[in-house]
This record gives sequence, C-alpha cells and structure tokens, in this order.
Amino acid sequence: MSDSLLVQGVQALKALGLNYAFMLDDMERQAFVRGLGVTLQLCLLTIPGSLAVGVLLAALLASGRAWLAAPARAVVEVTRNTPTLVQLYCAFLVLNMLITQQLRDWGAGPNPLTPFIWVVIVVSLHKGVFHAEALRAGIESVPQATLEAARSLGFSRRQLLARVQLPLAVRFALPSLVNNLVDLVKMTAVASAIAVGDVTYQSIMIWSQRDNVLELLLLILLWFGLLTGLVSLAGRWLEQRMRMPGYGQ
Amino acid sequence: MRHLQASFCSFARPLTGVAAALALLAGTAHADATLDRIKQRGKVTIGVLINGGPFGSIDAATQQLVGWNPELARALAKGLGAEAELVQVQTATRVQFLQSGKVDLLIASMELNPDRAEILGYAPTPFYRVGGAAAVRKDSGIAQWADLRGKPVCVSQGSSFAKPLTAEYGAQVQGYKSASDSLLALRGGNCVAAVHDSTLIHPLVRSNPEWTQYAAPIASEILPAPSVVWTRKGEADTIAAVDKVVREWHRSGWLIDTEKRVGIAPANPFLAEQQAKFKTASR
Repeated sequence: MSDSLLVQGVQALKALGLNYAFMLDDMERQAFVRGLGVTLQLCLLTIPGSLAVGVLLAALLASGRAWLAAPARAVVEVTRNTPTLVQLYCAFLVLNMLITQQLRDWGAGPNPLTPFIWVVIVVSLHKGVFHAEALRAGIESVPQATLEAARSLGFSRRQLLARVQLPLAVRFALPSLVNNLVDLVKMTAVASAIAVGDVTYQSIMIWSQRDNVLELLLLILLWFGLLTGLVSLAGRWLEQRMRMPGYGQ
Repeated sequence: MRHLQASFCSFARPLTGVAAALALLAGTAHADATLDRIKQRGKVTIGVLINGGPFGSIDAATQQLVGWNPELARALAKGLGAEAELVQVQTATRVQFLQSGKVDLLIASMELNPDRAEILGYAPTPFYRVGGAAAVRKDSGIAQWADLRGKPVCVSQGSSFAKPLTAEYGAQVQGYKSASDSLLALRGGNCVAAVHDSTLIHPLVRSNPEWTQYAAPIASEILPAPSVVWTRKGEADTIAAVDKVVREWHRSGWLIDTEKRVGIAPANPFLAEQQAKFKTASR
C-alpha cells in the first residue's frame, strides 16, 4: 500500500522532470533515511555539547582570575580563527591517526574514537567558543549596581555567577545563542567530509551514482530548513518565557 | 551567450521542455556546438582527475599536472587540433563540471556504466580498462573480497566500487572526499581496507616506503570496466572526433608507450589486446 504510494509519488515527480528514482531502491532509500537520522542525532548531541563548552569557557573568561581567563581566551582565539573543516581534518585525519598508532604500539586495542565522535567533539568545541563570547557579552552587560547589591548580600563569586550573572546573561545573550545554534545545525554537514553518514554524505553518495544533484539538494534544503526552523521556534519560545516584565523595556 | 545557455540548461533540467526547445533552436544553427566552439577558439577544456601517483599528479618542481590523465588530455587536444586547457576535477563533482560547461570533455578515471551512459555522451572506444583493488594491512588476514563482509571499507565519494562492495560483499562502505583522505583514514585504522582503482593502489603498496605495512593481496579486480572519454549528451560530432583520436592511439601503440613512460606497472594487457584489434581492423 505505502509502497505503491511511493511509486506513484516518484512517477508524479518524474513527470515534473525530477528524478527521485533512488527512493524505490531499498538500499539507497534506507541509506538516505538513515542520513536524516544521523544529522538529527548530531544536532541533538552538539547542541547541549556546545552549550556546555560555552558556559564553561564563559565562566572561565568572566572569572576575573588571569590564570583561568588567559588559557580560555587562547582556546577561543585559536578555535574561532580556523575553519571547522580544517579542524575536523586535523582532528580526525592527523590526531586520530596518531592516537590509533600509539594505541597499537602499546597493544591497547582499537581506537574507540569513531568519526562520529570526532564530529561531535569538533563541532561542539567550535560553536561552544561562539556561545562563550555571546555569554560574555551577556555577563558584561549585567549592571554593576546589581552585582554590588548581590555582593553586599554576601554572595560568593561562584554564587554571584550562578545566581545573578548567568541568569541575566542568558537573557541578554539568547538571540545570539539561538543564532549560533541555527548555524550549528547547518555546520553538522561537515561530517560528510569524513564519511559520517549524515544526510549530506548520503546524498553525495547517491548523486555521484545517479547524478540527481538538484533533487537531493532540495531534500537537504527541506531537512535543514525544518531543523533550523525548530531551533528558531524554540529560541523564540524561550525568549518569551524568560522575558522579565519591566526589565529593560 | 552559448556558454550561458549551456550552464543554464544544466541547472534547469526539471524544465525539460524549455531546455529541449532551446536545444532545438541551437540545433538548427549548429549540429554540435561544442566541437564548433573548440575549433573556433582553438582551445579545448578537459577535466582531469589528479589523485596522486602515475595516474595524475602535480609535479612539485614545475606545478604542472603530469601523469596518465594529463598526458592523455594534452594528446587528445592535439588530436582535435586545439590547445589543451586542463581543469582539475573531483570524483564527486566531475559530472557537474561537464554538464555545466566548465569543461568540454572528461578524462577522469571514469569508467563506463549504464547509469552514466544514460545522462552523458562518450567516445565508444575505451582507452583503458581498470578495476578496483584493496589496500589492507599485511596483518589483517584479508585475502579475498568476501573477507570484507561486515567490515568498514574506505572509498572516495562517487566511487563506482561503493555499490558492489555493499551489495555483493556486504562491506560497510565509507566514502571520503578524495582518495588521499580515504587512504589516510585506512592508516588511521578507521577501515580495514581502502578500495580504489588498481592503478592507484598497486604502485602505492609496491613502491612507497610509507606503505610497507600494507599490501594488495586480493588477486581479482572488483568491477573491471572500460575507461572512456566523456562528453555532454548528444554531441555526436565531438564524440566522433574524439573517438577517432582514441582509435589512432590504440593503432599506433601510443597508449602502450605512454603507460610505460608515466610508470604504470604492470602493463595492462587490455592495451595490447586493443592494439592488435585496431591493427587488423585497419588492414
């Protein structure tokens, strides 16, 4: 039943000049659907991952202690000034190879770091740096008077950060953070470069056999449009929900 | 104008009707726009695949493209009475380069298969025959294609070996951007074998000192297929002109000499077969 529906759909699109015949090939259709899932998985792992990296780095940057802030600043500068793809190649093709060879020399068995894990690490780190800067902007825009009031109530530095600065900073930084997250969703496509089976990779593998580039690009566009749309919606919802009536307006 | 039209057509494939009408209009003026343009400009743009080794590489000293593919491309241009303009292409995007008019012809290690023959034109006389070979670690215990079942295997994106490896041998295929990435991934332990054209793999494991721990133990080639020169669909004049040059290459033994000169070893028996065939044919 659903099979014949698929056949009809493919034929209808063919009449429009769009060749979606790969949908009728079990292997290719399954690979493509798997690709959709892998892209979703990457998003679901790198969004919290990058936010965690961002909060950690922002806390270090705002700590007021040079020995914490300086290394964090170095990480930020190095990470945001090199392309994600280059970082991924460096991490996976070079670092990973060295780790594998070292483990082999030690007789410690296979390398547990898969290409998928490398993508999660590199993308989380890369985007986390941008979150950190967005959060820093938020932290620095918390009024001095508010901080002084909190200090006079006996808040420690950590309490000050966790209870006063971050909650306000997140509100200030939210538009930038959502912006970063939308960008992060699109950035997961770099996974295709190292053969992680995300939607871009599966599409390339299919179109290099069938040459239906346009057809697959339309599907990629739809999928990323859907994912980024969801992130934007969630961001809008959070902004509404966290709005403090009377503050700043 | 013609260039614009060519690139427009490639993007507007869904608008088949419009494209067909345009092609018809163009068709009344010229039988084959590409060959006309080649003659007119005295220049032909040929896409070549450069993946290191004797097949095609960049000379470190002169920055010139050297090896089998570039040699053939230059000789082909000469045969067409034009100057060669070589453009490097990637496996995954070479078809788009051809269809969008960025190149007129492709000599890009692209074997003949029915899917491609449906969307592109080609000179029917093959200039080479090539299949896939697998590079594996010497201690991997892999001796035949069936040993790859269920194991990760590296290829380059767009490789025609991806399908038989998955469908016939049940390997988990991972496609990397280029052959060099795939080979690095093999050395990084991300796959048990890297499968590429045998002409790339054999010289590598035989003579490259960095690859002493690797070998190509599987005797048979996967999916041996003829390599042809690709054109856009329906360019009959261009195809005929190219095919004439290729037939002459076989007849004169130029391909056999070139194979030796660029250092492809062992010699492919296909070339000798073809030479014998064309010599008797011309008698």
